[in-house]
Amino acid sequence: MSKSESPSGGAASFPGYELEPRFYDEMFEADGTPRAAGLQMTEALAGFAPEDLAKLQESVYRRFLHEGITFTVHGGDEMTERIIPLDFVPRLLPAREWDHIERGLKQRLAAINLFLRDIYHEGRSLRDGVVPLDLVLGGPQYRMEMRGIRVPHDVYVAVCGTDLVRTHEGFAVLEDNLRVPSGVSYMLGCRDAVKGAFPELYRSHRVREVSDYSKRLYSVLASLAPSMRTPRIAILTPGLYNSAYYEHALLAGEMGIDLVEGQDLVVHDAVLYERTTKGLERIDVLYRRLDDDFLDPVTFRPDSVLGAAGMFHAYRAGNFVLANAPGTGVADDKALYAYVPRIIRYFLDEEPILQNVETHLCREPEGLAWTLEHLEELVVKEVGGSGGYGMLVGPHASSAERAEFAERIKADPSNFISQPTLDLSRAPCYVDGGIEPRHVDLRPFVLQGRDHQDVVPGGLCRVALRRGSLVVNSSQGGGCKDLWVVDG
Amino acid sequence: MLARVAANFYWMGRYLERTKQTIRLVRYPLDRLVDRTGNEIAVAWEVVYRTLGQSPPEAPESSEEAETFLMTDAYTLAGSLIEEASNPESILSCWSIARENARQVRSHLPLPVWTCLNQGYLWMRDSDLPTAWASGPAAFVGEATDRLRHLAGVMDALMYRDDGWRFMVLGGFVERVQHQAAFLGAWVELGRRARGESVLPWADLLRICGAYEVYSRRYSMDVRQEQVLVFLVQDPELPRSLRFSMHLIEEMLAGIDPAGARYPLAPPHRMALRLAAALEVENLDGERGRDSVRFFRSIGSDCRKLHDLAVASYLGFSPVGGLET
Repeated sequence: MSKSESPSGGAASFPGYELEPRFYDEMFEADGTPRAAGLQMTEALAGFAPEDLAKLQESVYRRFLHEGITFTVHGGDEMTERIIPLDFVPRLLPAREWDHIERGLKQRLAAINLFLRDIYHEGRSLRDGVVPLDLVLGGPQYRMEMRGIRVPHDVYVAVCGTDLVRTHEGFAVLEDNLRVPSGVSYMLGCRDAVKGAFPELYRSHRVREVSDYSKRLYSVLASLAPSMRTPRIAILTPGLYNSAYYEHALLAGEMGIDLVEGQDLVVHDAVLYERTTKGLERIDVLYRRLDDDFLDPVTFRPDSVLGAAGMFHAYRAGNFVLANAPGTGVADDKALYAYVPRIIRYFLDEEPILQNVETHLCREPEGLAWTLEHLEELVVKEVGGSGGYGMLVGPHASSAERAEFAERIKADPSNFISQPTLDLSRAPCYVDGGIEPRHVDLRPFVLQGRDHQDVVPGGLCRVALRRGSLVVNSSQGGGCKDLWVVDG
Repeated sequence: MLARVAANFYWMGRYLERTKQTIRLVRYPLDRLVDRTGNEIAVAWEVVYRTLGQSPPEAPESSEEAETFLMTDAYTLAGSLIEEASNPESILSCWSIARENARQVRSHLPLPVWTCLNQGYLWMRDSDLPTAWASGPAAFVGEATDRLRHLAGVMDALMYRDDGWRFMVLGGFVERVQHQAAFLGAWVELGRRARGESVLPWADLLRICGAYEVYSRRYSMDVRQEQVLVFLVQDPELPRSLRFSMHLIEEMLAGIDPAGARYPLAPPHRMALRLAAALEVENLDGERGRDSVRFFRSIGSDCRKLHDLAVASYLGFSPVGGLET
């Protein structure tokens, strides 16, 4: 560990800010001097008295509390509304680095959409051995019901949230969220709150704008509509008690469209309608924030009351568009993730711009052996897991926990993958009255319309607020912070 | 507008109004605790019980015990009506349900409206009620009133006058008519039984309805029962009069189903017109005053029917008959 003798604004200006060479620091160089993009910000932070920093944190917290920017946590029979912890110190990213990320994300989504079309039609990539046949057809998220269905404009994934991490080697993709990616409301909420906290700094940094995300999303959804008339678009939410309900309501409000629940929908003659005070109104595009399983009790889970009976029949008839299409989850399986670079090469004939994290598949004998031998160094994940649950962080686990996990892996190897424990980059955060480094990741949101792709210059920047923790999920002590894409 | 969203607006309006009415109801006996006799306080609480459709508990025979019982009961009822989460009529419950309905339609609400409603709820939920109670319950109730007025102002200034607004106002005024009819009926009945202006003064009734100053200007400072009832029921310009409320209900229903768009008029609209006419022509003077308790009961009952019709016509929309064939 080192502590710099740098002038005001350097890492040494913040007692408790320990730079560790293992981790890339988003704000400071290895010698403790601020990176070019962070110069103004670090000087400003160093100039704040402790009580001013506390006031800033309080002001952004109050804003989230009063505006009800919450997520719902389910614990036993209890459900509580919680405010996601927001750190007011923005993470800064030079525009040239962002542009590289943007190109990589667009390339990745284009390839994934081509892959999805292929596996539900000709299956060329499966025959050519790009991806193992059994991994796709045997995956729990592969929907036989989608085979042969013509998806409008071949856009299977219209909204994608890709998780990125950074190490000294650069940015890498940790996973793709292709079903119902969430978190964009925190990106927007963080921006509003942090912009209010640092108006002068915000102006002088010439930060790229994210506030028009809803407009971009609307434009993408409208472009997918099956008819030429002005489409009626709605967001399908599981309801008030869903953890992302705030986000559903925010997006519906900003786009000026209806936020519907399953009980608002009815299907007749293969047409999807919503029940209004004036009668039934036809829906053209449904941006669903509900898993495939719950969309239609006739086709998928019969006990679902969150969707509408017959919805899939109406979808198959081409009478409305679902964004994202059912069956996209097959491509965000953690095992299939390892094949995405090959998918990019196969379908686009290009080298991947963004790299994957090294991944070992326990379904393969050598991957299983490697994982079991190096358990204390690896992060092991369930292929269908999310939210930081069902995973083992080897270096932080006890030997008993590792032994127990090893038994689980041996019992069902194809359900697990392993990756090296990443040295996630760190960014300055306000913690316990001072500025300290914490691990961060980034989830940008990529949109795919009929004939264009769009990436809003920002994203959900998650932060592991517990000292030393690498888990950034909000359900496990993580928070969020704003990402400023700045000139440079 | 989605029928479910309309229902959320409607119930949000009803519960916000119920919060206001419950505060108004509780405030009166609380104010009286300061300087009135036990009997006067007891009658004031009985108005509260009767308005809520409940019967007050029997007091002990002995006057000394009765006084202690009365004070204990008063605080118990007031506490139950303010902070008891399991009591659906309590201010906290009503505010909470209004907020839940608002959460469901927050994509239709301007941010300051949601924020104001949410802040009020958080303030009440996080208040140290035992301390607030000990230091002065009236002050606590007063702050709740101020917050509701603030919310009403923000809504009035910012909300778009579409069907969401109409359903919210409709719900609020249906609630107001039902509540006000029950309240006036209880007041008239108990006032008649007490046979004394000193126990339930008609001037107090005007003050509770925020109409005392206007009444004094319009009539005189000599407050007369018949004039008070006519004023509170039939005055077209008094916001708390039943006639004013019915006019608003009719206006909202006309907006939801614009005149001429369908004939015959929708059932709730027809019912509202009939109720408005009944309120205008009712003779509340002199001898007919004997029937006023029954009159208020019939208004309350008709308003419940109006509610049922509105729910059946707009809020519980059935696809039968509405499908393209």
